[in-house]
Amino acid sequence: MAGKTPSEKRLHKELISLVKEPPPGMIVDADQAEQNLNTWTINMQGAEGTLYDGELFQLQFKFGSSYPFESPEVTFVGQNIPVHPHVYSNGHICLSILTDDWSPALSVQSVCLSIISMLSSCKEKKRPPDNSFYVKTCNKNPKKTKWWYHDDKV
Amino acid sequence: MATTSSESDSSRKNTDNKENESKDEQNNMFECNICLDNAKDAVVSVCGHLFCWPCLHQWLETRSSRQVCPVCKAVISKDKVIPIYGRGNTKQEDPRNKVPPRPAGQRTEPDANTGFPGFNFGDGGFHLSFGIGAFPFGFLTSFNFSDRPHGVPVGGQLQQDDHYLSKLFLWIAVIFIVWLLLA
Ligand SMILES: [Zn+2]
Ligand SMILES: [Zn+2]
Repeated sequence: MAGKTPSEKRLHKELISLVKEPPPGMIVDADQAEQNLNTWTINMQGAEGTLYDGELFQLQFKFGSSYPFESPEVTFVGQNIPVHPHVYSNGHICLSILTDDWSPALSVQSVCLSIISMLSSCKEKKRPPDNSFYVKTCNKNPKKTKWWYHDDKV
Repeated sequence: MATTSSESDSSRKNTDNKENESKDEQNNMFECNICLDNAKDAVVSVCGHLFCWPCLHQWLETRSSRQVCPVCKAVISKDKVIPIYGRGNTKQEDPRNKVPPRPAGQRTEPDANTGFPGFNFGDGGFHLSFGIGAFPFGFLTSFNFSDRPHGVPVGGQLQQDDHYLSKLFLWIAVIFIVWLLLA
């Protein structure tokens, strides 16, 4: 496989290290990612001792050709979308590092860890207040949303 | 991933792992924070973070309005990164000739044409206006200097602008000389 683009090279490196040393509670679907390096699915467990203890979630990452200079498109997919003030019922996540605060030094792993910690610090399971309106009107791609970051601490 | 049965076997594995880890850490030391590969045409930011110049350049272009270090979010700019020249990299090749050009190492010299740190004027314009104020011919030489690559991708638009500017200033100079002669 000659002529890998820089973005494919980097994704490949990330995949290898994610398979070799997965962060706790995270499993990447390596076969799927190998087949299509631009779409990854990550199975995630709610952290122990949090409101999401014992729940299973699926995160989908879509990478554009200019990754890592542009952020990946990250959404929750599948049956169980976590009920959280920053997670819409269509799986879109309101998290600043996914748009404005993205940096090419971030990685799939660091994004997953941020999302886990976002879930873990949640005090009350509820949807965002504008959920039904947003879900009806938003673009399929969460990166097209002009997010207005409520408070990053939650 | 195989399960080990004997104790000695597993402890040996552990030490192996440790050696590998420390080796990994040493190798990681010189990896670019963007492509995660060994840094090529390495530059280091003032905050101490290492990148390939092409990688960092692309990031600065992507976020030209808010240029921050990808790792620590400190403010960075093209003028303030330092290239790293290792031993064995002694070929007579000027890294600035590469696209995208890497900023040159800064050696402060008495009359150095180092630009105005902190000002974000296009290099050319600022020098030119100074040159004219001081001496009508000064700008001709300084203009050639300011033409050197400075992290700006070599594009047609800019060169056309430069061309236009040089013509403009040539005319201003001619008018200035005529005015001097008449006065
Ligand atoms: Zn690099
Ligand atoms: Zn930094």
